[in-house]
Formats: sequence, C-alpha cells, structure tokens
Amino acid sequence: MAAGADRPRLVAARTVGASPVAGLGVGWRPEIAGVVAGVTGLGFCEVIAESLDLRHPGRPPAGPSRGVTDLRERGIPVIPHGVRLGLGDAGGVDPGRVAHLAACARALDAPLVSEHVAFVQAGGREAGHLLPVPRTREALDVLVSGVRRTQAELEVPLALEPIAALFDWPEDEYAEGDFLTELLDRTGALLLLDVANVYANARNRGQDPSAVLDRMPLDRVAYVHVAGGAVHPDDPLGLYHDTHLDPVPPAVLALLEEVRERGAAPAVMLERDGRHPPAAELHGELTAIAAAAWLEPVR
Amino acid sequence: MNAGANGPAGDLAARQAALVAALVDGAPDPPGFAADRLAATREALLRKRSGQAATAWPLLAAGLGPDWARFACSVLAGRPVAGALRDGWDVALAARAAGRLTEGARRELADRERVLRYDGVRPPHRRPIARLRGLLRR
Repeated sequence: MAAGADRPRLVAARTVGASPVAGLGVGWRPEIAGVVAGVTGLGFCEVIAESLDLRHPGRPPAGPSRGVTDLRERGIPVIPHGVRLGLGDAGGVDPGRVAHLAACARALDAPLVSEHVAFVQAGGREAGHLLPVPRTREALDVLVSGVRRTQAELEVPLALEPIAALFDWPEDEYAEGDFLTELLDRTGALLLLDVANVYANARNRGQDPSAVLDRMPLDRVAYVHVAGGAVHPDDPLGLYHDTHLDPVPPAVLALLEEVRERGAAPAVMLERDGRHPPAAELHGELTAIAAAAWLEPVR
Repeated sequence: MNAGANGPAGDLAARQAALVAALVDGAPDPPGFAADRLAATREALLRKRSGQAATAWPLLAAGLGPDWARFACSVLAGRPVAGALRDGWDVALAARAAGRLTEGARRELADRERVLRYDGVRPPHRRPIARLRGLLRR
C-alpha cells in the first residue's frame, strides 16, 4: 500500500501544546486513593470508565466514584479511560458501552477520553482482556467505524492507545506505526502513546523500540502512559509482560526520554493496577517519570 | 470478503471468535498463529483472572498462600471469563473439594453463600431473603 502518500500534516509543526492535558498524572485506582489524595501538583488523573457508577446522578456517589469526585473538587482534570468498548470488535461497538463512556466524560467534565486499539469480545464471548486486531484493511475499516461511532457521542476528543500483545496475526499487512497513522488520519483521533507497550511489543518481536517510535504518528500524542512489567518466571519464551504490577524498568524510562526528545510527551502518567507499593515508592516512580519527561515533579 | 481456500483472509468476525474461543474456552488454536505465543497469552490471561479473583476473595487467596496462582489458574483454565466473583467462587469450591479451605476461607465462602446463590451454572445472584433485607434497610 502507498503508506504516507496523503499525509501532508506530518510536515506541519508538532502539535505539542495542543494536547488537552499537561503535566504529570497518575491512573487513579481505589487502592491508591489515599496516596493520590496526598500528592500535590498533579496535572491530571485517569480513571477506568467501567469502574464509574453513574446510575444515580442526583445522589452522592458511593465507592470508587466518590474518590473521583474528590479529584474534580481539587480541580484536577480527570480522563475517563475505557477498557471494554471494543473499538475493534468485528461485531461493532456495544452502544451501551459507548453511551457510558460519553456519560463519564460529561459527568467529569473531562478534557478528553481514551480507549484502546483492540477487540474485547467475539462470538458472544468476552475475552476478559484487550486483544490485538489484525493489521489489515478489513480491521482498519472496523476500527474506523467503531471510532467514528464513539466520536459521534462525545463532545471532547478521543485518544487511542495501541496495546501490548504477546502475539501477532498471520494476516498482518501493515507495520504498527503505519496502521495507527492511517487510523488517526481517517478518524481525527489523538494518540495515547503507552511507552511500556511500545517497549514490550518491540522487545517481544525482536525489534528496536526507537525504530518503532520513528514510524509512530508522534505529532498526534495527547498524553503518554508509563507502566511497569517483568519477565514472568514461568514463561518458557522469556517474554516481557506489561503487567502494571511491577516497577517501571529503566528501559521504559529511557524510551520515555526519547519520546520527550522528539517533543511528544506533553503529559505523562503512571499506570499501576495492583500489588501497590508504599506511598514513598509510588512517589519515587512519579519523580523518575517527571525527570525523564522534563515535567514539574509532584510533591 | 473472500475467506476461500487461500487462507485466513476475510471474515474478521469469525477469526476473532475462533481466537477468543481458543484463548478462553479451550478450543483449538485457529490456523496461522504461533502456538507458543497463544499459549503465553492464555497463561497471562489466567494469571490476570486469578489476580482479580484473589482481590475479590482475599481470605481464600491468603489461605492458599504461594500456591494460589498455580491452583487458581488450573481451576480457571478452559472456563469462560465470568468475572472475579464467580471465578473466585469456582476456585473456592475446588479448594473445598480438595480439602484445602482454611478457617478464614471457609468463613469467606459461608458469608458469600448466605447472601448469594451460585449453582456453578448460572452467575451468582442474590438470595430472595437477602434481597428482601436489602430493600428493608433502604
């Protein structure tokens, strides 16, 4: 295919500064609510959209949503991050899930929302995980239609996150960067660049992560994810797993520095989904991320 | 699109369904994929599910200690994704059958069974009496 034949915007100035968020952030989870409440100087937070209960908009929320309301009261922008929309589901996105994501954005007065370039269910079964779509023309059409369907209900921009995957489809026609560029070109969506995913995929495919970055549409980055991972001791292939349960490895921070050098790290956040470390350790990771991305550290 | 004899092109829906069935339902791997990578994905999925089940069933997980992941993954392998509550419940029933429930885990299971009914087939649902108590408390 004629990749890049119609991409005049790539010669335009980098759009850093046009991102709807800035600064250092963290993926808010109920387990670290206490720690996050004690951190000053956060530029933004992200919250899992599916964890928000919007059933009683008139009543004060219970559970996780309460902590998220606290963030808004502190004036911290909150980005709803969907994990179950299934933009790449061949059967189409679930209208109820789209409506929920849009309702989250309205309830939080969010500057943008984000979701994954992935599929989550097929044949009436949930995968319970984000699975990669084949990088084919057919899958691209499915994604474009899912993204447009979602954008139609949103009043704010949508950022798309390429996932970490342990396998590729045999029918892949595009390199990941080219596939993504075409998806963003056709939909006008922004990029949520997860440097840990880039690192994991490149390492597990035997590629150079810097070369992978070169082909990514870095001029469309809205914000950046950083997360920890590890090689699982029981994995006979020695693959790197993007677990969100382990510390952020130096190689991922080094890749973040590269992204910053290319002017594509306007806002950066840490994702940690479990085995939460003590507050001091979490602070340490945020400080390391701020240093790598040249952002104001939090206190 | 043409899914013809030339290979797996076309029919994305069927390809996705075959892949999900292979990853979470014990179906055979669809043609063309690297078997070792699908196996690694299957393992990673099971570990993630067992971690979520441990969060929903903390005493059960604590009771099995360092053996939790191996035991839970072996119970969940080949079972459709059903959420942490039900996944953990299946693990709890298997642990009871194997005589491996600690006192804390036994209490955790008993507390759940007081409020919810789970027959191993349909998802856990609230017992009528618990539903009534919930309504009265409102």
